Amino acid sequence: MKKFLQIAKRIGLLLSLSAVSFSAQAQLQVVVTTGMIADLARNIGGDNLKVTALMGSGVDPHLYKATQGDLRRLSRADLILYNGLHLEGKMQDIFEKMARKKAVFAVSDKIPEENLIQHGKVHDPHIWFNVQLWIEAGKRITEILSQQDPKHAQIYQQRSQAYLKQLQELNSWVHQQIELIPQQKRILITAHDAFNYFGHAYGIKVMGLQGISTAAEFGLQDVKYLKDVIVANKISAVFVESSVSPKFIQSLVAGVKAEGHELKIGGELFSDAMGIKGTPEGTYIGMVKHNVHTIVEALK
Amino acid sequence: MINDLWILATASLVAAACSMVGVFLILRRQALLGDAISHSVLLGIVLAYLLSGSRDLFVMLFGAVAIGLVTAWLSDTLHRFGRIQADASIGIIFTLFFALGVILVSLFAGQIDLDQECVLYGEIAFVPFDTIYLGGMENGVEIGPRAFWTILVVFAIVLISILLAFQRLQTVSFHPSLAASLGINILFWHYFLMTLVSMTTVASFDAVGAILVVALLVIPASSAYLLAKSLKGMLWIAFAYSQVAVVVGYAVSYQLDSSISASIAVAAGILLALTIAIQLLNKRYRQKQPAKQFAPEQASSNA
Repeated sequence: MKKFLQIAKRIGLLLSLSAVSFSAQAQLQVVVTTGMIADLARNIGGDNLKVTALMGSGVDPHLYKATQGDLRRLSRADLILYNGLHLEGKMQDIFEKMARKKAVFAVSDKIPEENLIQHGKVHDPHIWFNVQLWIEAGKRITEILSQQDPKHAQIYQQRSQAYLKQLQELNSWVHQQIELIPQQKRILITAHDAFNYFGHAYGIKVMGLQGISTAAEFGLQDVKYLKDVIVANKISAVFVESSVSPKFIQSLVAGVKAEGHELKIGGELFSDAMGIKGTPEGTYIGMVKHNVHTIVEALK
Repeated sequence: MINDLWILATASLVAAACSMVGVFLILRRQALLGDAISHSVLLGIVLAYLLSGSRDLFVMLFGAVAIGLVTAWLSDTLHRFGRIQADASIGIIFTLFFALGVILVSLFAGQIDLDQECVLYGEIAFVPFDTIYLGGMENGVEIGPRAFWTILVVFAIVLISILLAFQRLQTVSFHPSLAASLGINILFWHYFLMTLVSMTTVASFDAVGAILVVALLVIPASSAYLLAKSLKGMLWIAFAYSQVAVVVGYAVSYQLDSSISASIAVAAGILLALTIAIQLLNKRYRQKQPAKQFAPEQASSNA
């Protein structure tokens, strides 16, 4: 049944795609890597762009596998946008090479060094969790679009101003919401370290079971340390992520409960990918709101 | 269109090199050495990163080839001198190396995205975009994908090695005791082969990713093993199987918009299954024929 639905969806998609390609030849073909960038580009570009994301909703960028069609999409694109800071792994080398012949840009490339979080010698790529940095990425996209498609530059500027204002409001809303959590309880525990920018920007301590890469293993010490922190700070909830298996977090909860402390799973956060298209969580703003709601409800 | 051609050419060279090397692995019962190397390279890239502080592709490749060689050599040595079975010794070495790599990641590089999937394994769909320039990046002439040229060199080395050393490799693979009595340095040829395997697999990982390489090392050579009557025949049949798998797999991935490397691997598997099925049918047919001849006699004796 699920498969049938998928096929039906695909046929529907094909039909809608062919309809679109008939109606508007003048659209700029934009291919992006993540759903977050697609959302940003759609909000700024509106009907002047046709945006295609390589990574579908719910796909962890670390686990993305290219298909034959991705080759065609990339070679036909007028403009390619990616996150950069090594989020796309080895694909970034390819994008950097393509940039010599094509309009290929990292949306993070103009963010000042001092605003980036560093781990050793490399940068943390999860910039979208700091709405302020995402606004910077939005400005960069506006700049790129205006360059690539100067005829519509004015429209892009207008749309961008309107959308970035929404993000600005979102940013202050997140600040207000986090204030609702008692100072001592502002500790966010998840499966992997995707939320460092979030913690840094909104004053909440972030701890993860795994390192940045979803493939790395964690040690017994890490689990024990997390348990101690949870007990000492009377933390009431930890969180699972949409793109990471919940089993590690579940076993952490079981471990803490076995020692006689109350700990629940506060809910599912969207980390490396957004929700399903068509749902509120399928947009950037919806995703951030969902995450903040979930965190505040569980911790306050 | 030109992109499709580059991909097909690269896949075809990877398939040719892997299937030829795979023939010797199958004969030596070391079929999963490629899979083993695909895991143990983690230690290589972690060490390379820790020593150099960079995730540059060439640094990663260097670490991977070095550890690949050590994996192949050590598992062969363990088998030879530790009197442990060939498959078990592969399992011991690669799990040891992989585990060491995991420990090093959690000790020193827990905050960095460092795994073979992310820094080493290539994606064949992106091969055409990763081009190199002859005579400098700025004003040189573009000569096509880097992966294509790398794998062309590797293929040439494998082909020339097999052509020049065919007799030796044949004797060493089939009659090791005869080879020893003839004064052939068996150890040298074993390590020579292991070096070819390690070089081919790591270069192919970089070009097309791990799963396809492991599949191409094992499946075409296994299909050929069912049909061939000589080493030469086995090499040719494995080569043919691998090329058909590439073409069929690519066509399938185009139709289904699926992963190219996975589709080629599945095509190779289906070809093997078909071969086995046809062989079984053939065998049954041959068994039935004499039975038919006897049937009338039996009927008459009963009467």
